[in-house]
Amino acid sequence: MQKVTLFPQSCKGMEDCGICAFVCPKSLFVASEEMNETGYLPPMPPDEEKCTACGNCMIYCPDFAIAVEGGAVDGREE
Amino acid sequence: MSEKTHPLRKYMRPQVKKTTFCPGCGAGIITQALLRAIDELGLTMDDFVFVSGIGCSAWIPSPLFNADTLHTTHGRPIAFASGVKMGLPDKHVIVVSGDGDLSAIGGNHLIHAARRNIDMTVILVNNGIYGMTGGQTAPTTPHGLITITSPYGNAEHEFDISSLVTAAGASYVARWTAYHPRQMTKSIKKGIEKKGFAMIEAITQCPVQFGRVSKQGSAVNMMKNYKENGIRIEKAARMDASELLVKIVEGEFVDCDKPELISSSAAALQGPTGGSN
Amino acid sequence: MGEARQINTGTHFMMGNQACAEGVIAAGCGFAAGYPITPASEVFNALAKQLPKAGGTLLQTEDEISAVCAAIGASWAGLKSFTVTSGPGISLMQENIGLAVATETPLVIVDVQRLGPSTGVPSVGMAGDMVQVARGSHGDYQIIAICPESPQEMFDMTVQAFNLAEEYRVPVFVMAEGFVGHMRERVVIPDESQIKLVHRKITQGGEPLTRRDFLDPEVAPMPVFGRGLKTHVTSSCHDEYGMRNLSDPDVMHRYIMTPIEKILGKRDRIVEVEADHEGAKLVLVSYGVVSRSSRQAAAMARAAGLKVGTLRLKTAWPFPDKEVRAAAESADFILVLENNTGQMYPYIKAESAHACKIDFLGPQVLGQIHDPQYILAKIREIMK
Repeated sequence: MQKVTLFPQSCKGMEDCGICAFVCPKSLFVASEEMNETGYLPPMPPDEEKCTACGNCMIYCPDFAIAVEGGAVDGREE
Repeated sequence: MSEKTHPLRKYMRPQVKKTTFCPGCGAGIITQALLRAIDELGLTMDDFVFVSGIGCSAWIPSPLFNADTLHTTHGRPIAFASGVKMGLPDKHVIVVSGDGDLSAIGGNHLIHAARRNIDMTVILVNNGIYGMTGGQTAPTTPHGLITITSPYGNAEHEFDISSLVTAAGASYVARWTAYHPRQMTKSIKKGIEKKGFAMIEAITQCPVQFGRVSKQGSAVNMMKNYKENGIRIEKAARMDASELLVKIVEGEFVDCDKPELISSSAAALQGPTGGSN
Repeated sequence: MGEARQINTGTHFMMGNQACAEGVIAAGCGFAAGYPITPASEVFNALAKQLPKAGGTLLQTEDEISAVCAAIGASWAGLKSFTVTSGPGISLMQENIGLAVATETPLVIVDVQRLGPSTGVPSVGMAGDMVQVARGSHGDYQIIAICPESPQEMFDMTVQAFNLAEEYRVPVFVMAEGFVGHMRERVVIPDESQIKLVHRKITQGGEPLTRRDFLDPEVAPMPVFGRGLKTHVTSSCHDEYGMRNLSDPDVMHRYIMTPIEKILGKRDRIVEVEADHEGAKLVLVSYGVVSRSSRQAAAMARAAGLKVGTLRLKTAWPFPDKEVRAAAESADFILVLENNTGQMYPYIKAESAHACKIDFLGPQVLGQIHDPQYILAKIREIMK
């Protein structure tokens, strides 16, 4: 099952934001080379094999550009 | 099959596709922490009225939230919200605004609403600077920091807003940084459920203004700072002032139950002096 | 709140400020906010006791800014809302009076005016806020202001102010002066069935972007909070749907002009004057408590064979331009009497100077009510 869904048009870019990469414990986010509609570089889809669905990228993304399903995402405490 | 959407998108006005914030701004993290709290409580947007003032964070609910929203003048959202709450005591009233709005120009309303213990939840988004107007010194700007209006270093001292509002009489006060959104959501839930005045002070990065003048730079660097220097209030209590200088004290400052304004007023009317003419 | 009204029907010997509070109750007010200030305090003092028993709520705020904001918030919560103050409080409220205009919020503000500027003399009445209530907030706009001359009218006009606010979704000012607020006279409060009340039209359902909640010259129904309407209210420039728009010049134009047209377009229904100047050579134009002196001076002049009439502006804003013009065009001389240094005089002059001579007469000493003999002496000087 796909864990991470990206909404690249909502993203404000890995260059100026990049919070998803910072909070991912597995460092799965790297910038795409394709700009979105507003000229930002959103992340490429992360490696589903390595993703633990911790939910960090979703919860920290300021632009509602990432959703995560399954795994430890619900109710996880740090 | 319909296209997938973000699970919190259902709380937003359909025509608003994006937040208004700069890349990396923490206001979006706080927006999500708030919506997640509403989601986890199983409430709907019809259970709320959102009130905001002027500044970047005032645009968290307006126009983003698909709810009754009142976007007001600079500094006054708590005053407006007090009237809304007195007219609709069964609704949850949430004020979302910034440190400049709520602690500078609106500081008087903040402390008096806390003192009255009127039932509302204030999300005070504290980025330590005036972001929307271009990076001027705020009451929350650290001493010594060079900003556009303190070019020789800020000679003033910053407010500890959570301590201020605790002292003013709030029923619930918590502070979290944007690096701790799960804890923030938990506190917002407690604040919404608290019958009385609740404030969640959300410390957040403004990479464009504060990041520039503080030389902390990017959103990620500012969040690293929150990660490294965030300290729980319980631990901070055992440390002295010099150790705490660079620390950001997080956690619950107060969580108590005491008579709330509107229910107290109603009870007083029925009480021993209320029945007579 | 209407069903719980506790109206003091009967004939009373009553202070103007108390009569105002009785009017607030009779109008079905649901929320009042206020901050203590002389010479207006008695209104809120009375409401503190009476309004909760009539089903309303009150908030004594930390300042007048908070008072007007809370009243606007309660109006959006669906209640008839009220605040009362004097000049310094109006000065503090100005920014948010602009918000009430821009968001088309029904609101009643009673201004028991006092001698200024600055702290001035709190207990001495003067009509010191006549222009600031209409022009004191930034930007271009129209409000409604009415001027009581007696404790009876403190009751009547307070009820009327609520009706106007509800009908036109606009802040309405009752421009009392300290004299009227503190004056004690006979006040007749009618039976509840005899008091005509207006209630705002409320939006009945529909998605936000399909509803024209704002900027209707015929007054849009109000999408009050708490009914699942998902209303968007903003102090910023907005379109008919209430959505912020800071880029479209047409929207900016409508944002300013439509709330103005909403009031000016209905001015014939709103504006009230008392005109008693048929065949008069000289017309005394006044408003508020001065009108009492004006009428007496006119009666004395007529008894002496002088053709003197009166025009009393019961409505100050929107400005009774046509009514003033009609007086000017039928007379040779307009004499303007105001309990100040001539706040409304330029507006009256602008409608009169083309047709007749015009002059201004303030009270013999500022802060005193015009002595009718003093007015009569001026009349004789003009008409000799």
